[in-house]
Amino acid sequence: METHFDIQLAKLKTRLFKMCSLVDEQVQFALRAIEEEDMSLAEMVVERDKKVDKYDVKIEKICQKLFALNQPVAMDLRLIMSAMTINTNLERIGDIAVNIAENFIRLRTKPAFLEKTKINQMSMIVKEMLRNAIDSFIQNDPKLAEKVIRSDDELDALNAENHKVLIEIMKEDKESIEPAVTFLVTSRELERIGDHATNIAEDVFFIVEAELIKHKYEKFLFSEVENVEKEIDEEIDEDEKRNGDVQKN
Amino acid sequence: MDIKISVKNLEAFYGKNKVLKNISIDIPRNKVVAIIGPSGCGKSTFLRCLNRMHEVVGGTITGSIQVDGEDLTKTDPVLLRKRLGMVFQKPNPFPTMSIFNNVAAGLRFNGVRNKKILTPIVERSLKQAALWDEVKDNLDDSGVNISGGQQQRLCIARTLAVDPEVILMDEPASALDPISTSKIEELIFELKKNYTIVIVTHNMQQAARVSDSTAFFYMGELIEYDKTTKIFTNPANKQTEDYVTGRFG
Repeated sequence: METHFDIQLAKLKTRLFKMCSLVDEQVQFALRAIEEEDMSLAEMVVERDKKVDKYDVKIEKICQKLFALNQPVAMDLRLIMSAMTINTNLERIGDIAVNIAENFIRLRTKPAFLEKTKINQMSMIVKEMLRNAIDSFIQNDPKLAEKVIRSDDELDALNAENHKVLIEIMKEDKESIEPAVTFLVTSRELERIGDHATNIAEDVFFIVEAELIKHKYEKFLFSEVENVEKEIDEEIDEDEKRNGDVQKN
Repeated sequence: MDIKISVKNLEAFYGKNKVLKNISIDIPRNKVVAIIGPSGCGKSTFLRCLNRMHEVVGGTITGSIQVDGEDLTKTDPVLLRKRLGMVFQKPNPFPTMSIFNNVAAGLRFNGVRNKKILTPIVERSLKQAALWDEVKDNLDDSGVNISGGQQQRLCIARTLAVDPEVILMDEPASALDPISTSKIEELIFELKKNYTIVIVTHNMQQAARVSDSTAFFYMGELIEYDKTTKIFTNPANKQTEDYVTGRFG
C-alpha cells in the first residue's frame, strides 16, 4: 500500500533527480563553453544558477518537513539524511560550474597552452564521475558508486600534474600568467567537483548498505580487514584516551 | 481561506468551572485540523462543543460557533450531529447489530428503511472507510466480531453513511495497534478530499503526520494555532515549543 508518506518521499526523490540533471547540465555546459569558446553558453550557466539555488532551498524545506512531521526511521531515515547532503553537494557543484564559466568569461578565449595541460582529461573524468554518481543514486547502485570513489585519486593526480605544467608555463612566458592562474583555479575546481561526486557516491553506500564510509572508504573498499566500523571506533577511543578527551564519569 | 467552522470567543463551563477560555479559531473547509495539548487542557471539550455534546453532559457555553455562517447554538442538536459526525476514542459499534445494520443505523434513525436505498449507501460508506474489501462477504456478521481497527473503521463508515459535512475525531487511533493506526491515518488523507476534519489527539506525531493545521491548547486556552509545518518546525510560542519537543506536558 502506498502511503501518504511514500508519496511525499517520491516527491522528494523527483525534485532531487531534477536537481541532479540540472547540475549535471551546468557542469557539461561550463566545460563545453571553454571547449567551444562559447560565451553565450558560459553566460547561460551563470544565469541558471538561480534555478539551482531555488531547487536547493526547496529540497531542504521538503527534508525538514519530512523529518518534523513523519519521524522517519531505517531506510527512510537514511534516504532523507542523504538527500540533504546530496543536495548540498549538488548545490556546491552548481556553484563551481558558475566559477568555471565566470573565469572563462573574463578570459574570453581558450589559451593555446591548454593542450599541454590535463584539463581536457580532467573534464572527461569529472563528467563521467558526476554522471556515475548521479546514476548510482538514481539506481541505488553501490557498485557504480564504488567506481566513482575509485576515480577520485586519478583526478587528484591530474590536478597535481596541472599545477606543475602551469607553473612551468608561467615561468616561461609572463604573458601567460593570467590565463595560467585562471586554469590553475579551474583545475582545482574540477578536482573539487570530483570530491563532491565522491561525497554523493558515499551517500549511496549509506542509503543502500547502511554503511557510513565517508573519510574512511580506503578501508572499506581496499582493505581486507573485517568489521572496519569497529576497528575505527576502537582507534577513535584510543586517540581520545591518549589525549585525555574522554570525560571521567 | 474558505472557512467551514468559525469559532468566536467560545467559553465552556461545567457548572461555574470555566474549562475553555475565549477560544477563537477558524477551521478551513476540506482540511484536517489537529487539536493537541496535555490532559485536561480542554481539547475534547472543544470538540464536544462543536456538535453540542458538551450540553448533553450538563455543560454550558458562551460565544459563537458558526458552520457555513449558520449559528450552531440555534440549530436542532439532532440535525446538527448529522452534519457534524463524530468518531470516538474506543470503537463503539452496536453489539447486537450486524456490520450492515451498524452502518445503516444512522440512516434508519433518520427514517430511511428501504433496503434498496440503504444497500448502496452502506457499500459506499464502507468503501470510503477502506473496509469494504475486508467485510463485503460478511455483512451479516456482528459488528463486534471484527478486529479493533476494523471496528473503528466501521464506526467511521457509520458516521459517513449519514453524509456529514464535518467529521470530529476524538483520539480515533489511541486504542489501536500501529498497523490499524496507519490505516486510519491514510483514511484521514482520503476523507479530507470530501470532508472537513477536526481531530483531537494525544499523539503529537499523529497530529504532525495527518493535519494541515494544528491548535495547541493549554489549561483551557488556545496558545497557538498555525500550519502544522510551522508548529512542528518553528512554533511562535515558547509553551508550544516546549510541548512539541516533549519538555512539558
